[in-house]
Amino acid sequence: MPDVQSHPLPSAAPTPRRRRRRGWHGLLYTLPALALVVVFFLIPLGMTVWMSLHNWPLLGNARWIGLANYTRLWNDASFWNALLFTAQYTIVSTIGLLGLALALALMVQHQGRATGLYRTVWFLPVVTGFASASLLWAWLSNVDAGLFSPLAQRIGLTEGRFNLLADFDTAFWSVTVMVVWKMAGFYMIILMSGLQAIPGDYQEAARIDGASALQRFLWITVPLIRQPFALALIMCVAGSMLAFDQFYIILNGGPRNQTVTAVYKIFNESFVSFRLGYGAALSVILLLILMVLSIIQLRLLRDRGES
Amino acid sequence: MKMIRGAIALTALLALTLPAAGTRAETFSLWVRSGANDYIRELIASFEADSEHRVDLQVVPVDEMVQKYAIASVGGSAPDALSLDLIYTPAFARAGQLRDLTDFAHSLAWFDQLSPAHLSVGTFDGRLYGLPFSADASLLIWNKELFKRAGLDPENAPQSWTEIIADARAVGALGPETYGFYFAGNCGGCNIFTLAPMIWAAGGEILSADGQQAMLDSPQVREAIDFYRTMVMDGLVPAGARTDSGANFFGAFANGNIGIAPLGSFAISILNQQYPDLDYGVAFLPGQEAGQWSSFAGGDNIVISRSTSEEKLPAIKAFIRHTYSLAGQKILARRIGIPVRADLAQQALEGLDPRYALSTEAMQNGRTPYSTVFNDLINSRNGPWTTTLNRAFFADSEAEVEAALAAGQAEMQAIIDAAR
Repeated sequence: MPDVQSHPLPSAAPTPRRRRRRGWHGLLYTLPALALVVVFFLIPLGMTVWMSLHNWPLLGNARWIGLANYTRLWNDASFWNALLFTAQYTIVSTIGLLGLALALALMVQHQGRATGLYRTVWFLPVVTGFASASLLWAWLSNVDAGLFSPLAQRIGLTEGRFNLLADFDTAFWSVTVMVVWKMAGFYMIILMSGLQAIPGDYQEAARIDGASALQRFLWITVPLIRQPFALALIMCVAGSMLAFDQFYIILNGGPRNQTVTAVYKIFNESFVSFRLGYGAALSVILLLILMVLSIIQLRLLRDRGES
Repeated sequence: MKMIRGAIALTALLALTLPAAGTRAETFSLWVRSGANDYIRELIASFEADSEHRVDLQVVPVDEMVQKYAIASVGGSAPDALSLDLIYTPAFARAGQLRDLTDFAHSLAWFDQLSPAHLSVGTFDGRLYGLPFSADASLLIWNKELFKRAGLDPENAPQSWTEIIADARAVGALGPETYGFYFAGNCGGCNIFTLAPMIWAAGGEILSADGQQAMLDSPQVREAIDFYRTMVMDGLVPAGARTDSGANFFGAFANGNIGIAPLGSFAISILNQQYPDLDYGVAFLPGQEAGQWSSFAGGDNIVISRSTSEEKLPAIKAFIRHTYSLAGQKILARRIGIPVRADLAQQALEGLDPRYALSTEAMQNGRTPYSTVFNDLINSRNGPWTTTLNRAFFADSEAEVEAALAAGQAEMQAIIDAAR
């Protein structure tokens, strides 16, 4: 916005009156979008904050309790454990997802005979829903009726059946692999569009100057895909911090509640223990954490030229 | 037939004495949980055939019943009547969602013949809010074919925990793909239905009678866990049991490679209809010693929403009376194996699979724990009952079992105390 004001159009600067009328028009045009934001974002957000200040059972009458939900939350070890696990999962899945996505994007960025096919193949898992992918994975990892355990036994990898989902490490990695398989294609597309936007002459000039492939990647590609990478990173971190379906469907939060994520905890409080008010307070805190995380990422990845 | 006409005449008579109610035909909405609910459709069809009233049946996904009801209730569109998993009746009544049915219940001539377990959880603060609608009892089921192959008497059910272990060992020895025993090791609902009765049979408790005291840390619970853990360590239970949150609770036995499984009366009708080739027997769930047995009394209570208008009450009451008629009880008997009215049970079960009679007897002596936080304590996939058992069943050491029980006891009591 400040940009526009400091560089007025060279011809016929608008009079204040015209500018004001244009402002009204602008508002009019954005009104539908604004209405959607108000109805589907601001009002629910306000409701959530309002509910978080009550003892609000799923059934029955709400009672004002001020900040009691927040003080309780401060001492609720299970919520902080859930957050800690969510953070751990976010770090692992983000590294896995963006690393693989970048590698895939580098492979399919150029036009070629088979690239269309590869792009499609790698993107295909993205269009399945998280719930259906999780159900598929739950079946594949079932120790009696699935694929992995019987197969491992058949080819002599394990002595007897090994229940992948019964131990934290194998269960955690199993779900993370599923998420990477399912979502890498999506981030591949974002990073690929970034790669394709890099003018070909940059690479060509560097090649003529004798830069190696690694040098070209590090000093041309990486700086120039900063913005799409920032987009992918923020989406990936936010998505992982809000993980729920896969842990609910495949692991039920087990083994021993070690894979209960933050959203899972909110779900449990709200719809299993029927404490909507407390669930709302947890949601507000999670929202604040996500906001802080996003701001940090934006800061870190901002183009230095802009600041 | 006489009964139905009598019921209608009685309803009409009652309607005349109530100024607000009319005799005109009413349609009321009825919610039921998804699953085996063919009996409800049949019940409604037989009700509507003889009545001017109509029932608008809505099937709600079983796991979302409470949430959907709560949302509908806030939005002013709660169903008029609801077939509610009986364990939720105290929580619903406590939240002031239900109509007091005490006077109506006592006006029923056969009130003292109704399933006592249903009525006990249907009561809150001395008033009655739910009446028995459908029933489900826990039973031990064994595969006669596998028993024969293992050299056991296929007609003789194991009578105690030690006998179960011995029979499971014999069946388990048949081959690598055959297992002696199955239970869903990560499913609170399944284990309250099947393991808890074995603890009760042995004289133990999980909750005090008023639901205010957790009693997980007790010798009988320890023994019961030891009983399951022995079979796990001996490899008599498939590895999948450890992570089964209920999806395979019934299916494992139906596959035909499991010797013994504690299940419920619901299994009889499904096995008869879908697995006619499986030769199985049913028995009571035994305690530690021969001769002891118990059952969980499960099923649904029928309840009426507080917001339901007076005009609809005669129709709903007529439907409830119809359910308790011989015609209604016969439908229950044929479809789910258990009538909920004791004095008609024998008549209703006449000519049906004799195994049903055992369910009815189990039901009449069945128990339902009373708690307003049942979901939190028992059914929750991350609650203390589910996680404690899972940890203990598959523990590597005695110390681990002890630690699990101590933690579970503390967590259960904390949830109960927080709800007070």
